Amino acid sequence: MHRLVLDGGVMWSGSYAIGDRSAQLRGNAAGASPSPFTLFSTSSEVGPTASAVVRVGFTLTPRLVIEGGGAFGRPRVRAAIAQDAEAGQQQLEGEQLQQYLIDAALVWHLPMRWGTRLRPFIIGGGGYLRQLHEERTLVETGQLYYGGVGARYWFHGGSGTTRGVGMRGEVRANLRREGIDFEDKTRVFPTVAVHLFFSL
Amino acid sequence: MRTAIGLLFVALLVSGATSPVDAYLKLGTPVDGRVVDVTWRTPIRYFVSDADAGSVSANDLRGAVSRASATWQAVPSATVRFEYQGMTASVPGMVDGRTTLGFLDRPELDRVLGATSFLIDTTDGAIVEADVFFNSRFAWSVSAGGTPGRVDLEAVALHELGHLLGLSHSALGETGLTGTGGRRVIASGSVMFPIAMAAGTIVDRVLQADDRAGISDLYPAADQLASTGGITGRVTKHGQGLLGAHVVAFNPETGALVANFALNANGEFAIARLEPGPYILRVEPLDDAEADSFFSTAIDVDFRVAYATRMVVAPKGGASAPIEIKVLPK
Repeated sequence: MHRLVLDGGVMWSGSYAIGDRSAQLRGNAAGASPSPFTLFSTSSEVGPTASAVVRVGFTLTPRLVIEGGGAFGRPRVRAAIAQDAEAGQQQLEGEQLQQYLIDAALVWHLPMRWGTRLRPFIIGGGGYLRQLHEERTLVETGQLYYGGVGARYWFHGGSGTTRGVGMRGEVRANLRREGIDFEDKTRVFPTVAVHLFFSL
Repeated sequence: MRTAIGLLFVALLVSGATSPVDAYLKLGTPVDGRVVDVTWRTPIRYFVSDADAGSVSANDLRGAVSRASATWQAVPSATVRFEYQGMTASVPGMVDGRTTLGFLDRPELDRVLGATSFLIDTTDGAIVEADVFFNSRFAWSVSAGGTPGRVDLEAVALHELGHLLGLSHSALGETGLTGTGGRRVIASGSVMFPIAMAAGTIVDRVLQADDRAGISDLYPAADQLASTGGITGRVTKHGQGLLGAHVVAFNPETGALVANFALNANGEFAIARLEPGPYILRVEPLDDAEADSFFSTAIDVDFRVAYATRMVVAPKGGASAPIEIKVLPK
């Protein structure tokens, strides 16, 4: 029995660092590489954000679903300033990105179940990340890989029925490569999502 | 063709002097009511004067100038071309149709290492001739690793060639007051900083981001306009524009620092030829030099260092939407 599952909801992403860097001037001392003078230092991060999510799943077996989807959010890049001898520490409100994620995942429904309405699952997948700087003037792209756990709860119908409607919640650990990052490092951040779903 | 001697006597000073300072500014001349960049429209054909300076020969100077000119020519984002024409008995400072670099004994300029003067076509801002002198009163070094107690000739030549190309001074640096009331360089973010590094150092043989941005703005390579970006804005205090505020753009990805000034009474500034990406903007008063020695009108230095409240993106091939940076009195 194959069937489609349509999901839509909200995903909250936690913040993650994107790099520390000091603004340094060339020091005045003998030698080819004298110690630099730090004018100020910065620590930057992509702030937490809520994204709109839509997904389409296709049931391959009673336990295994393949699904794809997309998400759109507008996280802010923030920077903390420190070590400035002429100014105090401060937090700069950064630019607001436009962030798109297109991904695919496998969802494995665990054999355990609590009644006919609640069914836990594990999920793993990856996708393409596209981040547009403010005013859509510059684009950064990257990849996102994730794994997590969640559960579906049917309001109507159930996991064994053809049609149904319910709520899905999940928690993921995300591993982001490339995209906006001042150190070009791989970053990890959490997401929590709540969806409504319709199984057809 | 109307020509005039540009009184752009831009000098590199030794520690201990108070000095004129401006940004990675370009030299300019008024043409038809507006200021245009002072630039070369042809390859820079130069002679080296055959006068020696103590233990450093004219031939040593030729070598130092050759290396310094190669450093400017190697900036990939700019198109600059020098052509050495030979040695000459002429001395720098003569209006003779020849661009001449050489040693001069100027004992009265006891804090000036070198200076550049120009002959400019005032109809279009083209440089017709420019001469550079290096003050033979100083102890110079052409050693590859520098010589303690001696000023590195290649580093000073690199600075003066920056002027010769049309760059003015950069204010991207930190100084401290000396016991005699002069200033000592603590650090600089540009070879075009107006006060030289200490004798014996050779670090200023290497251009910095501010220098590269400046020369790329004056002589952009073919793809520069499309591949770089700019940031524009306005510095205000109590809602009024702030002439002379020094604005530093910092790229947190590359670490590059490029600066400019708010150059009109509205406090407007523009920083061009930036690598595209987000920047942190820091505004500071011109307090590392005597402000009135550069700006012909009074500028306000009574304000605290401030940051733009948000990061600003320099877009590829364009300029950011103007941002207002508000500062507060000290």
